[in-house]
Amino acid sequence: MPAVVMVLIVGVLFYLGYRYYSGYLARRVYALDDDRPTPAHTMRDGVDFIPTNKHVLFGHHFTSVAGAAPIVGPAIAVFWGWGPALIWVVAGTIFAAGVHDFGAIVVSVRHKAQSIGTLTREVVGTRARVLFLLIIFFLLTLVNAVFAVVIGNLFVANPEAVLPIVLEIPLAIGIGQYIYRTRSAALIPSLVGVVVLYATILLGQALPISLAGFAAEDGLFTERNIWVVLLFAYTFLASRIPVWVLLQPRDYINSHQLFIALGVIGLGVLVGWDTIVAPMVNDRTPADSPSWFPLLFVTIACGAVSGFHSLVSSGTTSKQLDKESHARYVGYFGAVGEGALALGSILACTAGIVATTADWHAAYSDFATASDGAASNFVNGVAHFAGNLGVPQATAAVFAAVVVISFAATTMDTGVRLQRYIVQEIAEIVRIRAISRNLTVAGLVAVLIPLVLALLPGGGDAGYTFGVLWQLFGTTNQLTAGLALAVIAVWVTKNRRNPIAVLVPLVFLVVVTTWALVDNLVRFVAESEWVLAPLDAIIFVLAVWLIVEAVLALRRARGVSGDADEPEPTELTGR
Amino acid sequence: MTAGGRWRRLGARLLRYWRRLERAHELLLVSRWRQGLRKEARRRDDTLRTLLLLESLGVDNPVAYETLDVVPYLVADFHAWHRRMGRDEFGDAGVCC
Repeated sequence: MPAVVMVLIVGVLFYLGYRYYSGYLARRVYALDDDRPTPAHTMRDGVDFIPTNKHVLFGHHFTSVAGAAPIVGPAIAVFWGWGPALIWVVAGTIFAAGVHDFGAIVVSVRHKAQSIGTLTREVVGTRARVLFLLIIFFLLTLVNAVFAVVIGNLFVANPEAVLPIVLEIPLAIGIGQYIYRTRSAALIPSLVGVVVLYATILLGQALPISLAGFAAEDGLFTERNIWVVLLFAYTFLASRIPVWVLLQPRDYINSHQLFIALGVIGLGVLVGWDTIVAPMVNDRTPADSPSWFPLLFVTIACGAVSGFHSLVSSGTTSKQLDKESHARYVGYFGAVGEGALALGSILACTAGIVATTADWHAAYSDFATASDGAASNFVNGVAHFAGNLGVPQATAAVFAAVVVISFAATTMDTGVRLQRYIVQEIAEIVRIRAISRNLTVAGLVAVLIPLVLALLPGGGDAGYTFGVLWQLFGTTNQLTAGLALAVIAVWVTKNRRNPIAVLVPLVFLVVVTTWALVDNLVRFVAESEWVLAPLDAIIFVLAVWLIVEAVLALRRARGVSGDADEPEPTELTGR
Repeated sequence: MTAGGRWRRLGARLLRYWRRLERAHELLLVSRWRQGLRKEARRRDDTLRTLLLLESLGVDNPVAYETLDVVPYLVADFHAWHRRMGRDEFGDAGVCC
């Protein structure tokens, strides 16, 4: 099948989902009301709370939620064939991610734009706040571990990408300082910055940087693992620099790269008219391969449904919503945008990567090869699409690697920084002052735990497949989504509206996540994986805890009558 | 119309498109980044205010000597802050209102 046909079919399904299902959600489930003033108006402060044009807010929301995760997950999951991956991306986006992202904005807007963490305590209960902290702790630990491995693998496969990524740091600081110090339009300097960044690709091709000379062939000191250690050392130092100096300017450059990459994939597919060479269902998987059910649903988290989006929806987007009806466009359509990125990843790894089905089977010969090479497969696929547009294949491969590494590195920067706060907060609860009061010690804890996890995949006798670590990351992401859906379901129930549209994805996510955890736990114990087995068991306990809290909160909610929304802001408090 | 006039009109039209593009870029990508800068500036202002308020809260201010110097410059800012926090009057006569 030509890739363009798949794009058209998915495009129509996404359109129908947005046109009809999100309309149903807006009217019957979330009952949007434009006469109700949003916090952007009632709490307007010109910094956090600013009524923003819906298209602009969509741009802000989409660039915040899109990153490397919706790329890597589908790139692994096509191991089972493009059919299951595509169905989960499309159905997940329409019936789970859209409901989740849209709902998180609405619930937050109706509660003074509070974050999902605070809402969990207020709507579900005090215990759930601790549960939320623990889930986020494991989510961030696994995010930092998996992205360190992804970047390490890409640096090994594309030594030409190292120099552009290193030079991106002073470039970002320079652009950041320009915008900080001037009020003039930033379009030309930004374009110059992006052009300079891509010019460094040519420099990188001339000066590839490889650590192979310092590394062992296998064991703990492989080239990938040396890169992982260097990456964590960098993120530890970077997390001590104010966000506006490095992190935010890098994020700013990345938002340009996101639109460029989406444009390259879209145009490349259209111009090249490539055919999907991967099988719809891969019937040549080795006998010891993990089963697609239920692991597909935790392998693709971002791109189908992601709990991380609830943090963005309730953390920043809800504070800028001009009218309640805009939540539909920003939240639901934002989820569709993420689904489109996942579709791009599926296309790159099934149509762009190789020319024949036999070559595809070689690239996806077993689960370990598929997961370790996922990011590289995406990079090669995008390079092929860029090649359709006339860019030399080798240069295009470095371009795609730079895009993925930039996303992953920024996520790691943010992840380590956030993890430091979470470590401090948990240390405060269990009264370990040495950690809660010391930023350096908290930062070291935030870096060392994911570092250990990242060093083990493929790292000798104790090593395991990267895909398994990725699935655990997906599991915690789905649990975060489950918690946010529980908050939304309780709020909808309290308001005497039918919560079925929220309950179905909630129950589905909880069931497949718990199933995947049990499935993996049995395997880890059988294979004596004594790092992953306890980690899996702890996350399983959190999943059961989530189920108990959600059931109790829903039972309580059914007993509540009347409108449970927060009261209108008063003039006295201005809030 | 002369050839020069046509070129001028074309130039003016292109400039209008460019300005529109600059505006869209500013709104879509730059404003988010400027918002981050404003947040950071506000966080630092709040830290300074907290330092100024330490003594009024009964806590020893380790940088009292330095902060005393800047109090006059921050009175108007401080007044705006306590109104933002929901108090029309600070309550301590002579501070700002």
